[in-house]
Amino acid sequence: MKRSKLTLLFIGLIIALFLISGCGSQEQEAVVDEAPAETDEAPAEPVAGDTVLIGITQNNVGIDSYQTTYDRAFREEVEKRDDVEAIILDAAGDVMGQVNQIEDLMAQNVDVIIIWPVDGTAVVPGVERAYEEGFPVVITNSPIAEDGFDYIAGFSGPNNVSQGQSAAEMMAEILEGEGKIVEIMGLPGYVTAHERSDGFQDEIVNYPGIELMETQPGDWNREKSQQVMENFLLKYDEIDGVYAADDNMAVGAINAIKEAGRMDAIRVTSACMFGDGYDAMQRGELHGTNEQSPFSDAINALEMAIDIARGKEVDFWNYFDTPKVTPEEVDNFERPVF
Amino acid sequence: MKNSLSVLAKKYPILLILLTCIIYFGLSSPVFLTVQNLTNIILQVSIIGIMAVGMTLILINANIDLSVGSILALSAALAMGLQSFGLVFAIAACLGVGTLIGAINGFLVSKAKINSFIVTLGAMMGVRGLVYIYTEERPIVGTERALVDFGSSFIGPIPTIAIIYILIIVLGELVLRYTTHGRNAIAVGGNYDAAKNAGINVDRHVFINFAFIGFTAALAGLLLVSRTNSATAFLGTNYELMVISAVVLGGTKLTGGYGSMLNTFGGVLVIGMIQNGMNLLNVHAYYSMLIMGLILIMVVFIDTRFKSGPQDYC
Repeated sequence: MKRSKLTLLFIGLIIALFLISGCGSQEQEAVVDEAPAETDEAPAEPVAGDTVLIGITQNNVGIDSYQTTYDRAFREEVEKRDDVEAIILDAAGDVMGQVNQIEDLMAQNVDVIIIWPVDGTAVVPGVERAYEEGFPVVITNSPIAEDGFDYIAGFSGPNNVSQGQSAAEMMAEILEGEGKIVEIMGLPGYVTAHERSDGFQDEIVNYPGIELMETQPGDWNREKSQQVMENFLLKYDEIDGVYAADDNMAVGAINAIKEAGRMDAIRVTSACMFGDGYDAMQRGELHGTNEQSPFSDAINALEMAIDIARGKEVDFWNYFDTPKVTPEEVDNFERPVF
Repeated sequence: MKNSLSVLAKKYPILLILLTCIIYFGLSSPVFLTVQNLTNIILQVSIIGIMAVGMTLILINANIDLSVGSILALSAALAMGLQSFGLVFAIAACLGVGTLIGAINGFLVSKAKINSFIVTLGAMMGVRGLVYIYTEERPIVGTERALVDFGSSFIGPIPTIAIIYILIIVLGELVLRYTTHGRNAIAVGGNYDAAKNAGINVDRHVFINFAFIGFTAALAGLLLVSRTNSATAFLGTNYELMVISAVVLGGTKLTGGYGSMLNTFGGVLVIGMIQNGMNLLNVHAYYSMLIMGLILIMVVFIDTRFKSGPQDYC
C-alpha cells in the first residue's frame, strides 16, 4: 500500500520536473543535441556555415530596465538567426553564482563564453580558468580588471571615452567656442566614470575659448549631483555650461539650476541618455547627450562572439555606436526604457 | 512486504529526490553525468555545504542561525582587507572573527535565554551593517596570490576546496555519531529539560554549536574569496536560506532531536544539482528557484506522511 504510493510519488516527481523545466527553456532540445558527449577536449574548431554555440552569463537581469532589455534583445537576436544557438544564463547578482555558471558553460563545451561581470575583479580567476581550458571569453558592457585582459578575447560595449568626447564637442558647438564650464563626474574608482571624464577633458582643451573651472564627483547619484550643482552656482557667478557624465546626474544638475533661476544662461550636456533625460531634452533643458542602446549592446556582443567562434580576427576593443542626440534630432530616437 | 527502495526512501527521503534529479538531468543532458560535471557540482556546493554542517548541529538542537550569510561576508571582507598584515594574519582574523560572532550568538541564546531566531536575525542585520561600514560598499581586492592559487588548486582530479568540504562532512558525522557532544546534541534537541536533568551542560553545549557554525561560515567565506579574490558588501546574501533549505531537505527537523550529516549532504547535493542542471538545460534562474521551493515543501510532506504519521509536522 505505502510502497505503491511511494512509487507513484516518485513517478509524479519526475513528470513534474519535466513539465516545470520544459516551460522554462525554449531551446532546450536544440541545445542538448548540440552539446558533444565528450567534455575533456577543448572545443573543436567550428567551420564557417556550422551552427555555433554561444554561452552567456549575465549580471542581473531584472534589476533594471537596461539589463532586462539587453536580455530580451539577446534572446530575440539568437531566435532570429539560424547559425547560432545560445545558452543564456543569469548570475542574478551573485559573484559565486557567476563563477559557477562559467564552469557550467565550459562543461557544455560552448564555442565562446560571454560574460557581463557581476564584479570586474571577482570574475578574473574564473576567466583565467576558462582561458586555461581553451575557451575564448568576451566581456560585455563593463570591462573587467586589467589583470584579466590577458585571458580574454576582447571587450564589447560602449566607448565611454568617445561618449565624453562627443559631449565636449556638443558643448563647444552650443557655446560657439566661448564660455566657462563645470563638470560633474561619476563615482571615482569606477572605470566608466574616469573614462567619460577623460574623454571630455581631452577634447575640451582643443577649444581655447572654453574654460573648465572645476570637476566634482556626483557619484552617479541625482541628489548628490543636485547638491554639487548648488555649490557650483553659489561659488561661480558666471557658468555657461555643465557637463554631467550621465543623464541621471544631468537631471539633478538641471533641478539645481532651475531652483536658482539660471536655466536661460546655462547649457547642459551629458553622456548617456536615460528616459528622464529624453524628457528634459524635449522640454529644452538638456542640450546634448548620446544614445546607448541595450539592443546595440546585446547584438554587438553576440556578433563579436560569433566572429570569434568562426575563427575571424576581431579587435580587442569592440565598441558599438553611441550616436549624439541633440534637441533637433531627439524625436528621431526612441525614449529609453531606463 | 517491503522492498529495499521504499525502506531506503523512508529512512532517507532525500534519496528519492536525489535519484529523481540524477535520472531526470542525466536523461536530459549528455553532460550532466560526466565526471567533470559531477566534480563541478561538489565544488559549487562546498560553500553552502560547509555551513550546512554547522547548521545541522544547530537545527538538531532545535535552534536556528540566520546570520551565516552575513558572517560569511564579514569574514570574506577581512580575509581580503587584512592581507597587508600578512596572509596568515588575515586568515586568522577571518576565522577568528567568524567564530567570535558565532560565540556571541551562542552566549545570547544559551545564557541570556533569548530565542535563537531573534538573536541571529539581529546578528544577520547587525553584521551586514558592519560589512557595509568596513567595505564602504566597494569591492575589496586581495593582493596575495597564494590564496587564489590555493582556491583553484586540485589534489589529483578533485578540487582542494571540494576535498576540504568532504573532510568536514566526515568530521561532522563522526562527531555526531561517536562523541558525547554529538549524542548530547540529539538529547538536547529531543527534550531540553530531560537533557538538563540528565546532567548535560546544556548551555555550554549550545554555546559550542553556535561558535562552531560561526567558524564554518567564516571558513566558507575564506574559501569563497579564494575563488574570486574579491569581497563585496552583498556577498552571501540569502545564503542562510539556502543552507537551512539544504539541511531541512536532508530530513533534519526544525523541532530538533533528529538529523544526520550524510542526509544534509544529500540535501546540499539536491540544491547543487538543480542549479547546475537548470544551467545545463538553459532554464531561467527564476524557474530553478520555483522548483527548489516546490521540492522543499514536497520533501517535508513525504517525510511527515511516510515516516512518522501525519500528526508530526516538521
